[in-house]
Amino acid sequence: MLDLSDRALAVLLLAPAAILLSLIIVYPVLRLLYTSFFSLSLTSGLPAEFVGLENYQLMIEDPVFWETTWNTVLITLITVPGALFVGLGLALLANLPFGMQWPVRLSLLIPWALPLSFAGLIFAWFFHSEYGVVNDVLARFGFPGVIWFNSPNLAFAAICLTIVWKTSSFMALIILAGLQTIPRSLYEAADVDGAGRIRQFFEITLPLLKPAIVVALIFRTITALQTFDIPFMMTGGGPGTSTATLAMYIHQNTVSFLDLGYGSALAVVMFALSMCVTAVYLRIIRTKE
Amino acid sequence: MASVSLRKLEKSYGSLRIVKGIDLTIEDGEFVVFVGPSGCGKSTTLRMVAGLESISGGEVLIGDRVVNKLAPRERDIAMVFQDYALYPHKTVRENMGFSLKVRGVAVKDAESRIGEAAEMLGIAHLLDRKPGQLSGGQRQRVAMGRAIVRRPQVFLFDEPLSNLDAKLRGQVRTEIKRLHQQIGTTIIYVTHDQVEAMTLADRIVILRGGDIEQVGTPDEVYNQPQSVFVGGFVGSPAMNFAKVTVDGDALRFANGDRLPLSGLNRGRDGAMEGRELIVGIRPEHFVTLADPAMTLSARVQVVEPLGSDTLVHFQIGGETLTARMPPEMRPAVGSEMRLGLDPSKVHLFDAKTERTIA
Repeated sequence: MLDLSDRALAVLLLAPAAILLSLIIVYPVLRLLYTSFFSLSLTSGLPAEFVGLENYQLMIEDPVFWETTWNTVLITLITVPGALFVGLGLALLANLPFGMQWPVRLSLLIPWALPLSFAGLIFAWFFHSEYGVVNDVLARFGFPGVIWFNSPNLAFAAICLTIVWKTSSFMALIILAGLQTIPRSLYEAADVDGAGRIRQFFEITLPLLKPAIVVALIFRTITALQTFDIPFMMTGGGPGTSTATLAMYIHQNTVSFLDLGYGSALAVVMFALSMCVTAVYLRIIRTKE
Repeated sequence: MASVSLRKLEKSYGSLRIVKGIDLTIEDGEFVVFVGPSGCGKSTTLRMVAGLESISGGEVLIGDRVVNKLAPRERDIAMVFQDYALYPHKTVRENMGFSLKVRGVAVKDAESRIGEAAEMLGIAHLLDRKPGQLSGGQRQRVAMGRAIVRRPQVFLFDEPLSNLDAKLRGQVRTEIKRLHQQIGTTIIYVTHDQVEAMTLADRIVILRGGDIEQVGTPDEVYNQPQSVFVGGFVGSPAMNFAKVTVDGDALRFANGDRLPLSGLNRGRDGAMEGRELIVGIRPEHFVTLADPAMTLSARVQVVEPLGSDTLVHFQIGGETLTARMPPEMRPAVGSEMRLGLDPSKVHLFDAKTERTIA
């Protein structure tokens, strides 16, 4: 038997997790930060050159950066609350005492299980100006067909709608799990106390769902800030860059233009944005505790 | 306050009948305890009175009002749940005041009612805490407080002590009894614990398989059980039972021992020759000094000294019986002894129907 002090034992037990986290999270993030201080474009054929904050300076002067960042924030501000409301509704529906629960639960799972790019493709077809089901429905009600992806606003709306559809089920699943932890006896007590259904929702359901909702919001907001697949598949960021997101711009700079220095600087900004949002949510949770 | 009447009350889930036509009247101000084993329909019956369970047949009346179709909030009842069902995000004050707020009771009036109930239950210092910061016993009191502030016609208690440890259970039991003496509201109380039933009830309703087995005061159900089930359910240790056959003027036990019928106070008339019966005798009704004719030979199997008395488990024929003996009595394990019976306390049941014989 090894005679280990408590401290050594703690270090030993934590080491595997610490090493793993360092390799897959800490190192890539530090490397990203490091690269962002270099001018490193693979297409130029020049060696990497330390340029300090020049990439960040470029970014501030880059209108596409501002536009894609604004689009990203707007998508987050629209689709996160949208998915929350739709998800809450779906969860409440799925929590009703149906005879057959599984078809409802399954229909909740399907959009969640679908790959993002696949959802993007499906909805690109839905909103297709000639063959799309949306225009077909509009035509049946006597409305003229719309060329969705030609107008920045309509394309943006179509993308937001798709993201809400795709992500509501995730919200619903987390909220449903939260709903199921609320004991039935609380509603019975409220019944006896004289509270009607609406009052029960606001006085019992909603307050007790808060932790689940906050968790769902954290996950959803962070993924919303990283929105890529759906607009990429639906519009490719167009018309122009009107529906391009920050993640798409990073992809364009690093993968298409092979400008790793500038791309890294953009990625650092996105990372910082995600961290800020997470910090805000965590603070909300902590003050509640 | 109000009386509660159940008329042919039934509950079915599909073809499964849980409650099979209960008839019972609970008087205004009475403390009635429903007791029985799991699945006997006691909680379902209570929940039908509360309006938390639909009624499949029959009627529930609170006062002279049929409440079958009324929502729980319209029945003027208050309920204490097994898991207390306190709102975890609300303070004790908000929990207790919730029903008053919903009903639009003026804040000042609500505050005074909450204060009064909290004083009565000794929880006034806990009003600003949340349920998560309370012990089991304190939560229990808050749940009662929430019921009291309503000033309802009827209190319903659904196994309120089952989540408490034995010591606390005893304490809270006494408090519930004191509470009833203080406020005098009609109480229907469900438990599976016969000690709770005996100590709290004005009348006990013993349920079995969705039917009432016996209704009576604690004394009645203890001293005059109408069936083997009631005899065995009420009392701890349980009543002893042994199969006997009527043989001439005596009851013959499996081991050949005979108990003269002439010594018994009850059931003699039903003891026809050859009839198979079940003798029921409570552990405390074995006596050491007895008419020699009223004794049985027993082989001692286990001796359990409890301090206040000694439980002696012994065998007669193939059946194991238990006697409660004076504390100084310590028979040797394996020894044979003559055990006396108090003839006035011997119960006779029909072996087939398991009901008492006249």
